[in-house]
Amino acid sequence: MSAHFSPEGLKNLEGHTDYDIVWPWTRPGGLRPGTTAVLRVKNEAPSLPFVLPPLLRACDYVLVVDNGSDDGTPDVARETAEKAGLADKLTLLSYPFKVARAGAEHLSVHELSVHSLAYFYNWCFAQVRTRYSWKWDGDMVLTSEGEASIADLGWQVGDVQTIIRVPRHGLYLDGDSHGYLDLGLRNAEEWGFPIGPDFVYTKAFEWEVRTTPERVRSIGLPHGLCVELKYLDGDEFAHWTDPSSFATSYRNKRKRREWAVFNALKEGTVLPGVHEIHAPPGVHIVDHVTQDWLPHAPRPLEVGTVVTSDDRR
Amino acid sequence: MSDLEPADYPRKVLFVAGAGRSGTSTLAGLMQILGLHVPKPEVVADETNPKGFGEPRWVVDHHDRLLKEAVVQVSDSRPEAWFETGRICTREPERIKTAEWLEQHFAVNPELVVKDPRLSWFMSLWRVAAIRCGATPVFATMLRPPAEVVGSKQTYYANRLGSAHLAASWLNMLLHTERGTRESDRVFVRYADLLDDWTKSVMRVGEELQLQNVLHANSEAIRDGHRFVDPSLRRVNQTLEDLNLPRRLHDLTAETWTELNKLAEPGGDTPEVRATLDQLRETYVDLYAEAEAISRSSVVAAEQRTRRQLKGGGGGAGGGAPVPAYAADRLPHGLRAMVPPKVRRGLRKMVGKERR
Repeated sequence: MSAHFSPEGLKNLEGHTDYDIVWPWTRPGGLRPGTTAVLRVKNEAPSLPFVLPPLLRACDYVLVVDNGSDDGTPDVARETAEKAGLADKLTLLSYPFKVARAGAEHLSVHELSVHSLAYFYNWCFAQVRTRYSWKWDGDMVLTSEGEASIADLGWQVGDVQTIIRVPRHGLYLDGDSHGYLDLGLRNAEEWGFPIGPDFVYTKAFEWEVRTTPERVRSIGLPHGLCVELKYLDGDEFAHWTDPSSFATSYRNKRKRREWAVFNALKEGTVLPGVHEIHAPPGVHIVDHVTQDWLPHAPRPLEVGTVVTSDDRR
Repeated sequence: MSDLEPADYPRKVLFVAGAGRSGTSTLAGLMQILGLHVPKPEVVADETNPKGFGEPRWVVDHHDRLLKEAVVQVSDSRPEAWFETGRICTREPERIKTAEWLEQHFAVNPELVVKDPRLSWFMSLWRVAAIRCGATPVFATMLRPPAEVVGSKQTYYANRLGSAHLAASWLNMLLHTERGTRESDRVFVRYADLLDDWTKSVMRVGEELQLQNVLHANSEAIRDGHRFVDPSLRRVNQTLEDLNLPRRLHDLTAETWTELNKLAEPGGDTPEVRATLDQLRETYVDLYAEAEAISRSSVVAAEQRTRRQLKGGGGGAGGGAPVPAYAADRLPHGLRAMVPPKVRRGLRKMVGKERR
């Protein structure tokens, strides 16, 4: 539990009372059954049309919190949900404060500041009204098997106090029909958490971390259920202070792998464990990988031996 | 679609779900007669189900093993049992085994039917297996009045657990099976309707789930269907009042049955009915949590007894249960039953405890 935890909620250092945090389990009526996926997004307009439809189908609710996008992200989120016929499941909110970038900048900010990643995450998850939550990113796309798995666990988990780890694989996009899937990294992070006083955010060295009771159940899903979109023509590392922020620690192994794969592909080199994939005519590469290539790839999926810290629990 | 040869039908697997003794065998049997494939070998018919079970042997064994691993009973009233089986369904080796088994049977027929009273516990495993095989998973859930299911289980399974536990298990099974099938194409079928006019019920299943073998069944198969369905199969007739359930459990069971019935009507699977079932499921979860909290002392006492027995004390020193005279008597009945009768007789002879 965070040193700054209080039973009712959190007050920020800057005195923005509109953005003080009230823990949702203290609200009248308490929490309701079900799951909510929480996405904290900034300029994810190109990804959301792929990310939201399977997530909206798999979860009871999806909360998208925009943090200063200038590419129309909120409009794209709304339009995508409407097009999928699932607008009633989507809630759009805005968090107006500049949030510290991962790494050195984050380390210098107090966790009760509205600029802290930990405070931002606590504020986002305090808007959840269900008993279980998924921490989700604005560039993570479920495969068809991933969608089925998340949907089923969403009702199966009930009131069980467990963490769920979900592996993801980087999908580096080179246009609409060509991409590279990185299966060279064995990476699963803790994304499923109950909502409650035992599971709130606090500060870690490079980013935020969610607290857990000392003994907590944790299960891991198989590989091949989710991809993380990376745009070879974009700036994939803008939310980091600078590359030296993830140059040394074991905790940043995933980020270093992404840096290596991204830069190798930019130079025309395909590293071991990375699969070059072409989509059939008329099919987008993201749809091809998530609905055909990965679901039908031979199992167990051959993934690399580089293991990130979360995957060892 | 009608011009397609049966071998070219799109891959589809019909999962027959619902509580045991609800007519699941009758529906699976009819589907088999009309041309869907029940993977072989099947469980052999017996006096509890004289027309056959329509259950693949492998599926029953697979589910039995997984239930043991999850420490969940076929009739289990704990809401959290769904997570215990759900987490088993996330294991890659089980996903691989299940998908490989399914794949080999698609070589026989692109439309399969898989039925087992334990199936609801593993819906997510089968859904994933179907996806991996490039097949569409569809679900048919059989509905039979809970009083009849409970009565039938007591009659045919020699179940001594009591009607309250069986009614609670029925609620847990049906309320969560309904929730778990929402993301797939599905139908609900009343057992009484199936026995009264199976052609009408089965054609609705075929149309709503687009089962090509049903839609294009020939006359001989239909004749076989009439030979197969026996209205006298519904041998148990009791009302909910006959079960003498605790009042809240009685009311919850009655309300759930009313709402599930709406799903069996054409166009009855509406958001309003789902919302009501969500509330009923939440009420059941709360009721179970209360009962669990109230009976905590019984659980603690049972744990202590088990611990004492495992230590070899047998509970005799404290004046509790008598110490078993033979080691075999300390083994659970299920384990003893796994020893072949011939071997059992030999062992009894060895220790001088032959049965007269």
